[in-house]
Amino acid sequence: MMGNHWFWLTLTIACVVWYSTITIYVAIKGAADIKHMLARLEATAAKEKGEQRD
Amino acid sequence: MTRFNWLLDGSIVGIYLLATMVAGLMVRKYVGKVEHFLVAGREMDVYLGIASLAATEFGIVTCMYTAQNGYEKGFAGATPGILMALAMLIVGWTGFVIKPLRDSGVMTIPELFEKRFGPRIRWAAGVVIVLGGLLNMGVFLRTGGQFLVLVSGLDVNYLEIMMTALLVGVAFYTILGGMLSVLVTDFLQFVVMSAGLIVVTVLILMNVGWTSMVSAVETHYGVGGFNPFINPTMGWQYILFNALLNTAAVLTWQTIIARVLSAKNTDTGRKVYTRTSFFFVCRFLIPGIWGIAALATLGPVANTLEAMPRYLSTSVPAGLMGLLIAAMLAADMSTDSSYMLTWGSVIYNDIMAPFRKTRWSEKKGLFWNRTIIALIGIFLLFYGLWYPLKGDLWTYLGVTGTIYLASISVLLISCCYWRRANSWGAATAILISAVIPITYLVIEQLPSTAALAKSIGPYYSGIATYFLSALAMVVGSLLKPSPRNELRGEVA
Repeated sequence: MMGNHWFWLTLTIACVVWYSTITIYVAIKGAADIKHMLARLEATAAKEKGEQRD
Repeated sequence: MTRFNWLLDGSIVGIYLLATMVAGLMVRKYVGKVEHFLVAGREMDVYLGIASLAATEFGIVTCMYTAQNGYEKGFAGATPGILMALAMLIVGWTGFVIKPLRDSGVMTIPELFEKRFGPRIRWAAGVVIVLGGLLNMGVFLRTGGQFLVLVSGLDVNYLEIMMTALLVGVAFYTILGGMLSVLVTDFLQFVVMSAGLIVVTVLILMNVGWTSMVSAVETHYGVGGFNPFINPTMGWQYILFNALLNTAAVLTWQTIIARVLSAKNTDTGRKVYTRTSFFFVCRFLIPGIWGIAALATLGPVANTLEAMPRYLSTSVPAGLMGLLIAAMLAADMSTDSSYMLTWGSVIYNDIMAPFRKTRWSEKKGLFWNRTIIALIGIFLLFYGLWYPLKGDLWTYLGVTGTIYLASISVLLISCCYWRRANSWGAATAILISAVIPITYLVIEQLPSTAALAKSIGPYYSGIATYFLSALAMVVGSLLKPSPRNELRGEVA
């Protein structure tokens, strides 16, 4: 029965494996992205404030 | 009898909700401008984009209709996911449409249209996008509430209260933090949602077993349960309609495009597309497996939309039930917040454009954006409560989405790549693609014409909308004299 539906079996296994891997990877790299995004926004806001004062 | 344990599972859900609200509210201090509110200051990087796009495009409503597809059509029900993944991969890889769109520096698609077709088309496109998007989103709350009530075993009378509480919570952090709150909460929600989806899927595969699921599909649907071309409820027209629908969604669906427009540059936007593409197979196949497991375990049921949550309520053990509900809440909250923000962005940026002839202060702009999101929330609450859904959920979403997907995708492709495209063609395309799906929805609801709607079917009417919309663009553009005068500006 498995041999008859190899396409769906392969796709199901691929989904579980890929999704598990990408979740861990994105959880680590995404947290770093948030940190950098907020740092850049903070830096831009500080720069704009400085320019307004000048 | 549900296995939801209020102490154990309730605590998991409570911790998740608290963490999300805190994260969503913490970033509100970074919102100083409309650009921060709508596109996160264009500072989004690849992995945050992947998390946000995946979380946004998977809500409880997605889980419900894809599981319904699995239950009603077997493995073949995952076909739209494969088509969408292919479209996403090709568009991300080639940069088709999304490259000129991101390079132009606009905040919404209609803003780009103004450069080519003029302010009236920008306004009309904004109206069509909001109309199609809000009708589409209108069923999210009830469907989400249905799932949560069934799985947790709550009294069905609490459905409306749950829907309202969920929406108020989401609206609260979206109104304060805009896209920044959406991105940060999406990230948390992606992690919780993915953990829940993976664990429950592995549990189902272990408990029900692959052989039992294949056997159930074979018994109920025969070969058609594995091959969409010979499935009696699908066929070539289903595949063609879904290919058009998913390609158009990848190119123009405001919540997807918002990630390209929030990306820090065009390459980041393209990478988000290519690297998220396979998620769209998972998005259909994983809940599809849940639906097939419901078919194998429960057999035929009267309400196919409720089969999967009914099955999960009795098969997922305490402890995991909390993770499942937290995952589904995460899925729903990320979708609701992003949808409210992105449709709100079109109302502010494009529909209200004629009222902003003089430049508004950032403070006034933020006030209006926040007010619009609150109003969308109120609309969703009322529309979500009284609209009676007929037919299957995916088809309803497809038909309402087509109201704008057909015309806006035709306009966007023409705007980027066809020099002769002009405002006459754009107006005709918008009109055609709004009239056909709305007429179909109306005749489907009226008892005197319901049989006619059934005989036409949503797929033929959907396919006709895409092709007639493209034809309208070509004919309308060619009919307008002196097209050179219309070419106001070139898209980068």
